[in-house]
Amino acid sequence: MLEYIVPALQHLFTLENFLWINIGVFIGSVFAAIPGLSVILCVILFLPFTYRMTAIPGMMFLLGIYCAGGYGGSVSAILINTPGTPHAAATMMDGHPLSRNGRTKAALKIALYASAFGGVFSALMLLFLGPQVAQIAAQLGTAEYFMVCLFGLTIIAGVSGKSMIKGIIAACIGLLISCIGADPMTSYDRFTFGVPRLYLGLDLAICLIGLFALVEVLAKAEKKPGQLILDSKKMNDNGEITKDEFKRMIRPTILSSIIGVLVGIIPGTGASEASWFSYDRAKAMSKHKEEFGHGSVEGIAAAESANNAVTGATLIPLLTMGIPGDGTVAIMLSALMINGLNPGLSLFTTQGDIMYAIMIGLVFVNLFMLLQGTFLTRLFAKVVSIPQEILTPIIVLFCFAGAYSVNKNYFDVGVALIFAVIAWLLRKLDMPPVPILLGMVLGNMTETNFRRALLISNGSPKIFVSSIYCIIFVILTVLAVATLIRSKMKEAKGETKR
Amino acid sequence: MEGKQSWMERLDRKRDEIGEKLVQKEINLPTELITGILFLLLGILTLVIMPGQVKVSDTDVVNGRAFPTLLMVVMMICSGIVLVKELYQVFVKKQPLTTKKVNLLVEVKALEILAILVLTYIICAITDLFVIGAVFCSLGFLVYFRCRKVSYYAITLTVAVLIWVAFRFGLGVNF
Amino acid sequence: MKKRILSSILALTMAAGLLAGCGGSKTATWTVTCPWAPSGVAAMVSQKAAAMSTDYSENIILVADAIKGDAATVNTWVADTKADDTELVFAGEGLFSITSILDPAKLQFTYDDFMFVENLYSSVFVMSADAKLNIKGIEDLKVYAEGVDEISVAANGATSSEAFLAAALFGSMGFGDKLKITPYSSAAEAAQAVARGETNFAVSHQSQILETYQQGGVTIVCAFDGEDISEGEFAGVEGVGKYGYPYFRNRCFVLARSGTKAETVAELKKLYDDILANDEMSAWLNDTMMLEVDTMSEADVQEHIQNVQDIVNEYYDIVVG
Repeated sequence: MLEYIVPALQHLFTLENFLWINIGVFIGSVFAAIPGLSVILCVILFLPFTYRMTAIPGMMFLLGIYCAGGYGGSVSAILINTPGTPHAAATMMDGHPLSRNGRTKAALKIALYASAFGGVFSALMLLFLGPQVAQIAAQLGTAEYFMVCLFGLTIIAGVSGKSMIKGIIAACIGLLISCIGADPMTSYDRFTFGVPRLYLGLDLAICLIGLFALVEVLAKAEKKPGQLILDSKKMNDNGEITKDEFKRMIRPTILSSIIGVLVGIIPGTGASEASWFSYDRAKAMSKHKEEFGHGSVEGIAAAESANNAVTGATLIPLLTMGIPGDGTVAIMLSALMINGLNPGLSLFTTQGDIMYAIMIGLVFVNLFMLLQGTFLTRLFAKVVSIPQEILTPIIVLFCFAGAYSVNKNYFDVGVALIFAVIAWLLRKLDMPPVPILLGMVLGNMTETNFRRALLISNGSPKIFVSSIYCIIFVILTVLAVATLIRSKMKEAKGETKR
Repeated sequence: MEGKQSWMERLDRKRDEIGEKLVQKEINLPTELITGILFLLLGILTLVIMPGQVKVSDTDVVNGRAFPTLLMVVMMICSGIVLVKELYQVFVKKQPLTTKKVNLLVEVKALEILAILVLTYIICAITDLFVIGAVFCSLGFLVYFRCRKVSYYAITLTVAVLIWVAFRFGLGVNF
Repeated sequence: MKKRILSSILALTMAAGLLAGCGGSKTATWTVTCPWAPSGVAAMVSQKAAAMSTDYSENIILVADAIKGDAATVNTWVADTKADDTELVFAGEGLFSITSILDPAKLQFTYDDFMFVENLYSSVFVMSADAKLNIKGIEDLKVYAEGVDEISVAANGATSSEAFLAAALFGSMGFGDKLKITPYSSAAEAAQAVARGETNFAVSHQSQILETYQQGGVTIVCAFDGEDISEGEFAGVEGVGKYGYPYFRNRCFVLARSGTKAETVAELKKLYDDILANDEMSAWLNDTMMLEVDTMSEADVQEHIQNVQDIVNEYYDIVVG
């Protein structure tokens, strides 16, 4: 590990990298602060930008967006009682009441400090755990990788919303989309309908622009015009946090950071689960339970540190095995692979200097988030009320320019538009879009390993239980599915009772 | 600006008239039924076109059709479950179909937005100048949102041109 | 006030960063598209050559781009470019000798759509074996092949140059019917597969198997060349040509769009030749990438394409089945 640190620092410490970190953090904070815009949308919009960059600045930029998104969501949650991102909902529980008590700046500060701590903690965990997990991942062969992919696909259950069956259907669509283009094993074309542009398959970024970004533009039809007005007088407190409050923040922040990391490592669970779980834990362990829901310092700290502690942890399965912890990092996989950085042990050995630069960079991302949050919070707060008349065409233009710039042709913009219409229709049927994304990301890897394993075993499926790692992943997959089905059934029962 | 305003007001009045008629019109979409049938048909269609779309070799242990076939079978099973569940609710439990209210005004508005997007795409593709499409798109949305503030027009158009400049000269995307 | 000043500085820094990113365009910038993985040998050589281009020309700046997709990428490139566009593309025997025979409908172009600029390098593929098999030369290989029912070889792609080299070797030895080619997504993956014991052999570039060889996971059986390897880590490894078995080297041609002015092509060729003549470049190619500088003429290119086409036609059935 140590042999990579010095070259990694040399790669990292350039003006270009630090500028991209800051730009990413700024954009991520702004996007997350605006209700209705999400971090995933932001990453999708700016992904094509990184196709023209080298690995380190590209990843720094995207990680800047990703991490700052964790904090930015809390700004609108605290100020206007509307979470900018879903995982900021737990922050809202105490953030907004504290703001109503005339301590808006203090609430924002607590959220910022807790977010930064969670983020740095998570980045350090990635730095130390990532290479160890990669060592284990290096021992996995083709059959084991298929089982890993299968385990990864259990994420679908976690991101399916109300209906897991619909989630599976959506995932099948995503997996089928990943089959378009050259067969990974034989190079024969599949589902190209004679269209030469489809020989390469459909680019993930282009499909996602349609599925997640342009569809949000179409969804403007559902919303009544009108804007969120922010009362700037709200931010006139001195923002002071007392010594006692600081002391009370420490325990929930550390505990929630650990929870965030553990939740983040498990594919399919994300920042929302981590922040709610941590919030509940903090409440259960607090000596001031009565303050929860009425502006508890511990509540804000727990929720915010947990949702930012997820960020580095979700990268562990991504970088070591290519399994994304959540939808947003699934998109980052493209940014890595476009630069020839394929997940696995080689990422930590032959390309160790680049990988360590990215992992150390993640620590700096969180530090810059702290810096920008300290000085630019007032600005982030103002963007909460950017009118949609201005915002909507800007998003569309980023979508179009981004889709075009991937392969420099308008065919791809057309594809993005088609995907937007498909996503709109799926929305009408309450079909979740995230499983489609996961299907697209995991499709190629799943199919290739499935077919290659059977080729190696001359068609015998026994190969999938032929090693201890295979058996471990079979058990993990069964456990994950059983747990998720149980929780879905509980949810359904709860709803029926209500 | 006066002329423009009256033109916009006329357009808005027209839109209001249509909107008033449509706002009350709602369709109950049987979502589960449609989901079941739609994806069952999609699965069948994919399986039918597969031989023409996926070339295979006789010697392959697992050929290029195996994985998509497996996916379509899983999708069809899931669609079947959705369908059977819904029919069970209706015919055995005597409960109404699971529906979702779809407002016609919302759908027409979505079509308006889609029209702006498609026109922007066509303008960009025909002229091969993104900036022209960008200007059209900005104006299109400002009119859609019934915006009257000149400052909003100025800001949006400036940002539109800046996006083109950033991609064209910063990222070297020649469009 | 202090905060306001700091905020302004931070905002200005970011604005400066954005402006820095929006610098002016360079008119003589030639984009060199490599249709294979960015981590592959060709993309790395292209990147290195591009980085050195500013030292040798004031008029031409090379910018390397890698878009994985093989024929599809070149199809797109041909469709999107015209004569005199400042665009170059890589292509090799894989497209002109293999895909053109196996799946001609896939190619939306012929060699006539291009103008040859230069060939940058040639690479001698090697065959490695699982170390447990203890196969260290062609004679060992023959003995092994005679005693088994199946010979599994990992290759980067089912119909790649590597797959055809394996087919040509075992086919000409008389063991073509025992050969099973297991395709992997990259040469590095194929190399790891043999070390893990998933396959018995792997065919790869020398540099791609070096690390696994040094760790003791594999032995090197032979080189797909006329003579033994003379230098480097694999010095002494037997060339299959010595035994009369067919072989070819891997080459990647830099091509411009047909119709581009002859003097422009000549200028580009000179630039590449100057870069390749640089000691640092040739040392890097030899020592790090384990490749050889191999400038070629149009006639050499045609000969190479024809040689590979002959091998593909002869061993087609073994690979495709």
